[in-house]
Amino acid sequence: MIDDKHTIEALHVGKSFGRRGVLKDVTFGIRPGEIVGIAGENGAGKSTLLKILVGLLAPTAGEVRINGNTGYCPQEMLVFETLTVRENFRLFAAAYGLDQAKRAAPWEDAENELLERFRFQQYENTLVSHLSGGTKQKLNLSLALLHSPDVLILDEPYSGFDWETYLRFWEFAAELRSQGRSVLIVSHFVYDRSKFDALFELADGVLRCV
Amino acid sequence: MAVRELRRSRIALILLLLIPTLFNLLIVLTTTDRPLAFKLASVSEETFLQVSERRESLIFIGGAAVGLLTSFLALSLIQKHAEVNRRLVLCGYKPWELIASKLAVLLCVVVLVACYAAAILRLFFQPERFALVVLGFILAGYVYGCYGLLVGSILKRELEGVLLIVLLANIDAGWLQNPIYYADAQNKMIIRRLPAYLPSQVSMVSAFTDHSIFNPLIGSVVYGSILLLGALLIYFWRMRIHR
Repeated sequence: MIDDKHTIEALHVGKSFGRRGVLKDVTFGIRPGEIVGIAGENGAGKSTLLKILVGLLAPTAGEVRINGNTGYCPQEMLVFETLTVRENFRLFAAAYGLDQAKRAAPWEDAENELLERFRFQQYENTLVSHLSGGTKQKLNLSLALLHSPDVLILDEPYSGFDWETYLRFWEFAAELRSQGRSVLIVSHFVYDRSKFDALFELADGVLRCV
Repeated sequence: MAVRELRRSRIALILLLLIPTLFNLLIVLTTTDRPLAFKLASVSEETFLQVSERRESLIFIGGAAVGLLTSFLALSLIQKHAEVNRRLVLCGYKPWELIASKLAVLLCVVVLVACYAAAILRLFFQPERFALVVLGFILAGYVYGCYGLLVGSILKRELEGVLLIVLLANIDAGWLQNPIYYADAQNKMIIRRLPAYLPSQVSMVSAFTDHSIFNPLIGSVVYGSILLLGALLIYFWRMRIHR
């Protein structure tokens, strides 16, 4: 049974690529106001699981349900390199439907808040191809946060961050938790277990509680 | 977005103008006004034309230049940022909105490059029906642009796409469709099935005769549209979200 109390729920999710089984019977759920981590070695299938959760891949078996709007930060830098930071924000604002004139708060407010929070406002009009890897990752993450999603699904979100930005990220995650939003973080390396409400390890296609 | 990206690719924009100029310059430098006699494939088998080698080559190379350039542009438009585009779809964009902007850019570039190639042509001679020659160039861009879209929607990596385009465009638009070659070719049926055949016939027939171009014109539109349909089907399949 799908539980209405969960914002993300995966039930018996399996995924195979040809004969190679990547995920076998993965079941877990996240409630509002929870930060959940999934750790695992490289190639364990973490990104595959996230792609299934957001809808980029279809599961071979099982079911996924998400209640609320989703923000997804992929592991790869999926940003437009030939556009400026602001132009990227504008495109994603349009995708989220934030550019409607009737909205109370314009999307630029959310953009400015993210630029300030992650300290890259000086690059607002810089072409993404001219940015450092860490700043690109800030943009990659910020694009997932622009519409204040109920559910955040983040794949290796802090890779490339300096220590200060890493700490700012966790401050922000704690704020989201206090607002009742759900955060799912996938990483091959978990620095601080105390920051998570629940932590799972993905190994041999199976999810185990750590 | 696509317009902004193209505008920032200054070297690509320069090449879009430089390549037709160079192609025409090479023709002018390497041909003479000696008369050539050949049959046009889409006109009756009994009709022989006698035109200057330079004029025939300028018409031929104009269509080839437009076809080559637009196929590469189409490949780049559909392949570049394909995964970022899918992220946009995940965030709420409709795939048709994204592809519509790319098609609009492609169409504008096809018309501009075709008009530019035709303008260079006018420096050297006045074709019988100039407007229809321009139309032939536009159709070459349309058919090969759609071919570039199809290749780009099937293949994820640029190198394979470039090789497939170079392979076909070179042998088809850049060689087999030259009447000097195909008039005496052993197997014309193959040449007539290739993408550049119908558009090049529109240009050739318009430049040197007053025969109807209705059949190759309609054929070009249908040929390009079939390629476009295939490209769109694959594009939408790749952009689908599983929810």
